[in-house]
Amino acid sequence: MELFLQFISNTGFFLAEYRNFVMIGIGSLFVYLAIAKEYEPLLLLPIGFGVLIGNIPFFKGFGLGIYEQNSVLHYLYFGVTTGVYPSIVFLGLGAMTDFSSLLARPKLMLLGAAAQTGIWATLLSAMALGFTSKEAASIAIIGGADGPTSIFLTAKLAPHLIGPIAIAAYSYMALIPIIQPPIMRLLTSREERLIRMPEPRPVSKKEVMIFPVVGLFLCCFLAPASIPLLGPFFFGNIMKESGVVDRLANTARTAVIDTATIFLGLTVGASTQGDVFLNAKSVGIFLLGAVAFSIATASGVIFAKIMNLFMKEKINPLLGAAGVSAVPGSAREVHLVGLKEDPTNFLLMHAMACNSSGVIGSAVCAGILWSFMM
Amino acid sequence: MYGLEAISANNGWAMAITGPLIVMSGLTILALIISQLHKIVAIFDKKPDSATQSAVEDKISVPKILPDNILETADIYQALIDKLEQPFELKALYRIAEQNDFPHPILTVGRFRVAGILVPEGEGLFVWKR
Repeated sequence: MELFLQFISNTGFFLAEYRNFVMIGIGSLFVYLAIAKEYEPLLLLPIGFGVLIGNIPFFKGFGLGIYEQNSVLHYLYFGVTTGVYPSIVFLGLGAMTDFSSLLARPKLMLLGAAAQTGIWATLLSAMALGFTSKEAASIAIIGGADGPTSIFLTAKLAPHLIGPIAIAAYSYMALIPIIQPPIMRLLTSREERLIRMPEPRPVSKKEVMIFPVVGLFLCCFLAPASIPLLGPFFFGNIMKESGVVDRLANTARTAVIDTATIFLGLTVGASTQGDVFLNAKSVGIFLLGAVAFSIATASGVIFAKIMNLFMKEKINPLLGAAGVSAVPGSAREVHLVGLKEDPTNFLLMHAMACNSSGVIGSAVCAGILWSFMM
Repeated sequence: MYGLEAISANNGWAMAITGPLIVMSGLTILALIISQLHKIVAIFDKKPDSATQSAVEDKISVPKILPDNILETADIYQALIDKLEQPFELKALYRIAEQNDFPHPILTVGRFRVAGILVPEGEGLFVWKR
């Protein structure tokens, strides 16, 4: 009987507390949204299931939890805390990205820079709310709308916040269809949304091959702290564009990035143990994340409108919203909002140019923030 | 510490001004470089060889502005379609249209699809029904 009672006292049913159930509810919601609504399933399913795994109560000291030394989850989490997974994700991302639309219309790169304003505005807000400068920088990068970049910078500056920041970043990326369109409509007139973008010029093979080299040198000389992200990113891209290592490029954009995404999502989800995750700081991070993402979207659109004041050939200001680096979600949303106004106005290709510029912009911002904190 | 005092103590104002300036100037320089990249590449490119030369000579002449009537536009495109084997992929049509400097091929092909002149045959292949 004593053995039975001892066993019972070690079960999850006995050890559970309300915070575990709250988190299990959140994890279940993520899994539901991924499967039933197909909201960013590649992100929400691993994270949601990770939240479920991480919030099963267990007997401390058995080496089971993600924060316990020598546990399997702890070893898998190593890739997050050291920034290994984000770098691998960037390698695959580079091997997927086609820069030709950006090369055909380089002005759109400025929208990728402008949309990073959300990061800097949130940095100030987080500091004002009492977060330390390192915590504020980690929270601010959510405004870049780039999950791997957020995780990478947080792992370097405020590792204790990886869980809430990663969850906030990925949640807002999944909520792009809900967050971005109202901001886009609010800041643009119908006439502006109807602006047609001229067809881009054809881009030569040599240009797309030279770009990763030029981009690497310029961005990484400017912000060397962005090397762990932009180095693999441009390497992946040159593998794709050179065409001489198709096998490697193909592996990078399929098996490699998929493996990293699985373990990144699962372990980030599992790191949200109720007792660690549910506190006032996490609530603050979620609120600031929403502010960061909204300011980023708005600043991209407003900057596009400002550019139109000086340019003969107007650009559709909706494209500014794709300056955040949520690839390809925000580009797709810009395209859909444009299509609602005019079903023959195809903005996707142009929005992808802003989106890929946003990826570079947010990684450079991460590098700058990191170097500011050194 | 909270509010403006916390921002000042953490050097936040300087970061929030310097950071975006660095990002904007970095990406502006990158944009400037890539806007000139095609000119630099053209300088280093060799002169067109005889095969390229003959391809240029084989170009189909096309008006700068295509007619509003989709059937008249289809007549102009017929010369391109004759060069393709049916059924064909849309990217092949785009490529050949771009090589011959046809204006706005993506929009035009979209109009052909709406007008039922380009009909999908499945598996990404299309046939020209004119």
